[in-house]
Amino acid sequence: MTAPHADQLIDGYLARICAAAHDFPAAARDELLDDMRSHIADARARDSQETDATILNILDRLGEPAVLVAEARERLGIKTQQPERPGLLEIAALVLLLFLWPAGVVLLWLSSQWKTRDKIIGSVFSLGGYPGISLIGLVLAGAGAGHGSRCITVRNAAGDVLQSSCSGTSVLDIIGSVAQTALVIVLFLLPVLTAAYLAIRLRRWHRLETIAA
Amino acid sequence: MWYIGRVPADGLVSQMRRGALEYCVMALMQQTPRYAFDLIDALAKTGMLTTEGTLYPLLSRLRRDGLVKTEWRESADGPPRRYYELTAEGRRALTGFKSEWTTFRGAVDAILQEAKKS
Repeated sequence: MTAPHADQLIDGYLARICAAAHDFPAAARDELLDDMRSHIADARARDSQETDATILNILDRLGEPAVLVAEARERLGIKTQQPERPGLLEIAALVLLLFLWPAGVVLLWLSSQWKTRDKIIGSVFSLGGYPGISLIGLVLAGAGAGHGSRCITVRNAAGDVLQSSCSGTSVLDIIGSVAQTALVIVLFLLPVLTAAYLAIRLRRWHRLETIAA
Repeated sequence: MWYIGRVPADGLVSQMRRGALEYCVMALMQQTPRYAFDLIDALAKTGMLTTEGTLYPLLSRLRRDGLVKTEWRESADGPPRRYYELTAEGRRALTGFKSEWTTFRGAVDAILQEAKKS
């Protein structure tokens, strides 16, 4: 008979080991987890009348995840990663990424608080920061100037519109201008969103280290 | 300064137990290959192992140092088990420890006995 919450209890226990050993080499961590799974399976095979208490006792005897991981660290000579707190460097990187992009990118890559993948995302999607975006905007505006509708409006001396005729206004032009507006909005939001993403990634990284400590 | 009588002497006794445990585990697989759960059973009876899970990092270490080798075997009642067996180097290390231990134990015992008499 299987205990009603066996899987939840065991998975929770293994997850705590996994979190505490998050900075282990993958092979060492996998071996530890495999050993724990196989131990639990052996222990469970002994008891035909299994209850949640049986599982809790097995896990209790096995030991507190933090203790086990500390033991493994010592026996296998795995050094504790010094949890570096996100500091001035990271804040400066995020601010500069928006307003002085090249310097921001340099700081982003100098920091050890982001994974390489996040650094690439941060460098690419910040689009040169706001100076860079102004440049892109100017280029786009230049390219867009030739298009669009031309309207002739005839007004009287008082400024009332007497006649207004537009040439070349088509559905395509409307779609074009809508797309252009959307593009501008996206362009202006991207660096901020990128910075926000980087900030979130940084905090998640930080939280993992707190679990391990 | 730690005194066994006053303070639980955690440091000293647990360090001694820790050091000796490695060789006790190796001694247990002297005759026949054994799997971890089986070793834990044997050690638990002697009070050498309080936290069962700590045996696994020890076994990993022994394997990494080439003192034991492992082999997966099917079990009758459950998933396959990893069996641990002494290597030639492991046997040498164990023999070395046995003679060191005998000398050490003899020396400490002699001094303790001597101190009791005087």
